[in-house]
Amino acid sequence: MLNSVRFARNFGEYRVASLSKPSSHFRNLDFRRNCASRLTMEPKAEATQPHFRSGEMGFGLDEIHSLISGPPETGRNSFTALLELPPPQAVQLLVKEDFPAKHLPPPIFPSNIGLIDRASKRSFFASADNPPASNTILLASSSMKVEIVKQEPTDSQPHPNSASPAVSDQSPKSGKRKEREKKVKESNKKSKKVVANEASEDGGKKLPYVHVRARRGQATDSHSLAERARREKINARMKLLQELVPGCNKISGTAMVLDEIINHVQALQRQVEFLSMRLAAVNPRIDFNLDALLAAESGSSIDNDYMGMFTPTIWPEGQINGNRQLEYQQLWQGDELRQPGWSREEDTPNFITPETSHLSYDSSANSAPLHSSQLKMEL
Amino acid sequence: MKSSTMCNSSVVLLKQEFLKKWIKGLHTYSNFNKNMSIMDRRKPAIKLSADVAIASTRKPATRWSRALMADILGTNRILVEQVLGRKQDMRAASGLMKCSKKILRRSSLIARRRVVPRRVTEPSSIARKLVKNRTSVLKSLLPGGEGMDEVSLIQETLDYIVSLRVQVDVMRRLAAGSLEESLCDHHQF
Repeated sequence: MLNSVRFARNFGEYRVASLSKPSSHFRNLDFRRNCASRLTMEPKAEATQPHFRSGEMGFGLDEIHSLISGPPETGRNSFTALLELPPPQAVQLLVKEDFPAKHLPPPIFPSNIGLIDRASKRSFFASADNPPASNTILLASSSMKVEIVKQEPTDSQPHPNSASPAVSDQSPKSGKRKEREKKVKESNKKSKKVVANEASEDGGKKLPYVHVRARRGQATDSHSLAERARREKINARMKLLQELVPGCNKISGTAMVLDEIINHVQALQRQVEFLSMRLAAVNPRIDFNLDALLAAESGSSIDNDYMGMFTPTIWPEGQINGNRQLEYQQLWQGDELRQPGWSREEDTPNFITPETSHLSYDSSANSAPLHSSQLKMEL
Repeated sequence: MKSSTMCNSSVVLLKQEFLKKWIKGLHTYSNFNKNMSIMDRRKPAIKLSADVAIASTRKPATRWSRALMADILGTNRILVEQVLGRKQDMRAASGLMKCSKKILRRSSLIARRRVVPRRVTEPSSIARKLVKNRTSVLKSLLPGGEGMDEVSLIQETLDYIVSLRVQVDVMRRLAAGSLEESLCDHHQF
C-alpha cells in the first residue's frame, strides 16, 4: 500500500479531478436530463400554472425534498450534509510534504459513511463514487476511516455532525480537531503537521481529514488549494441555483447567472407585495371548514379547498376587471400593479365546487395536519 | 412525473405549514383591520403575517429566516408570539436577537472597509468586479444577507427562493380562490 501511495504521488496525477470535474460533469448531465424531461412533460402546465418548480427539478430538489419532508432540524442536517457533499469531495487537502511513508491513509472522499449512503441513493453522486472508488482501491485501507482537514471553517459544522463511526469513539480528539479546523490559514500548516504527527503516532486511531488533491500542473501550496476548494464549493452551489432558477441553464458565466438570480428574487418579492395588497383589497372572510379540507383530498385540487374556505366579502371599490384570469397567469412573468376591485358584495354559504381552475394541482398528499375545527375569520 | 409528485408532496406539506401559520398570524389582525385603509393597515398585516409564517417554517435552519424573524420581532412582537406560541417565542426571541446582533456587527465591520479605487483593465478583474457587484446586490436583497460569505450566501439564496415560491404560490391560490368564488357567484345572479 505504501508503494502504491508513492506510485500515485510520483506519477504526479492527483485525483480530485475525478471528483470535481467529471463528477460535476455527471451531475450536470443528471440535472439536465431530469430537468429536460420534466420540463417537456409539463409545458402547458408551465404556462398556465405557476407550477412549483421544485417539483420539476431533478436532483437538486431531492435535497430540498428531504430537507422539507423531515422536521426542520434533521432537514437541516441532511440539507447541509447533502450540499456539503460535492465540496468535501473537492475539498480534500492532501497532506503533502508531511506525508510520511508510514502514513496510512485512505483519504478521499466521502468523508463518512452516512454521507456515502445518502450519496449512493441519489444518482447524483453515484457516478462520482465510482472513479474515486477505483482509485482508492490502491490507497484505501479496509476501514472507512477518512481524514478531513478543514481549510474552511464553514465546513466544520456538518462534518462534526455527521461523524463517521471511526471518529465517534474519539470525542476528545475530534473536539480538538474542531477547534483546529476553525482557525483559518495560519494554522493550516500547523494542523497538517499535527495531523501527520498524530497519524504517525496513533497507529490505529485516525482523525478525519479532508484531502484536497492538486490537479496536474497546478500549484500545490495550501493557499491555492484552499482557494480551489472554496471555488469548487461555490461552483457546486451555483449549479444548484442554476437548476432552480428558470432560464439559467443556458447562461454561462457567473455574473449573468447572478443577474438572473437577482431578477428572480426581486420578482418573487414583488409578487409577494402585490399579492398581499390584492388580498388586502379583496378582504375575504374565511370560513375555515377544515373538515371539508381534510375530506377534499382525493382528486380535488387545493383550490377547491381555498374556495370552500372563502366567502369573499367584497367592498365596493371599483369595476370588475374582466382580464383578471389572464392576469393570474401573467403574474409569474412579472406583473404590473392593478388595483383590484369588485363592485358587488356577496355573501355565499360555504361550499366546495369542483371547478376547473387554471391553478388547480394535485393534492394527493394532502394529509393535512390541521386540526379539524372551524374558524371564522375576517381579514 | 412520479418523482415530481413526490417532491410535490413535500412541497405541499411545506405549503400547508405555511398556511397554518399564516392564518394564525392573520388572526391577530382580524380585529383591527375592519377599517378600509388598504395600504396602511391591511396589506402590511397580511404581508407581515405571511413573512413571519414562511420564516418560521424554516426558522432553525437558515440564516435568512432568523434574520427575518428577528427583524419582525423588533416591531411586531405580538404577531410573532401568536404565530409561534408563547414558549417557543421566548426561546426563539433570545436566539434570534443574538443572531441578529451578530449579523449587524459583522455587517458594520464589512461596511467599514474602505475600497481603494484602482484602475483595472484586465478582463478577469473586470469579471470579478461584476460578480462582486452582483453579490452585493444579492446580499442586499436577502434578509440578513449582509454578514454572509459567498458560500453560505448561495446556500441561503437557494433556500430563500424555495420559500419565496411557496409563499407566492399559497398567496396566489388564496387570491385566485377568492376570485373564482366571487366570479362564480357573480354569474349566478
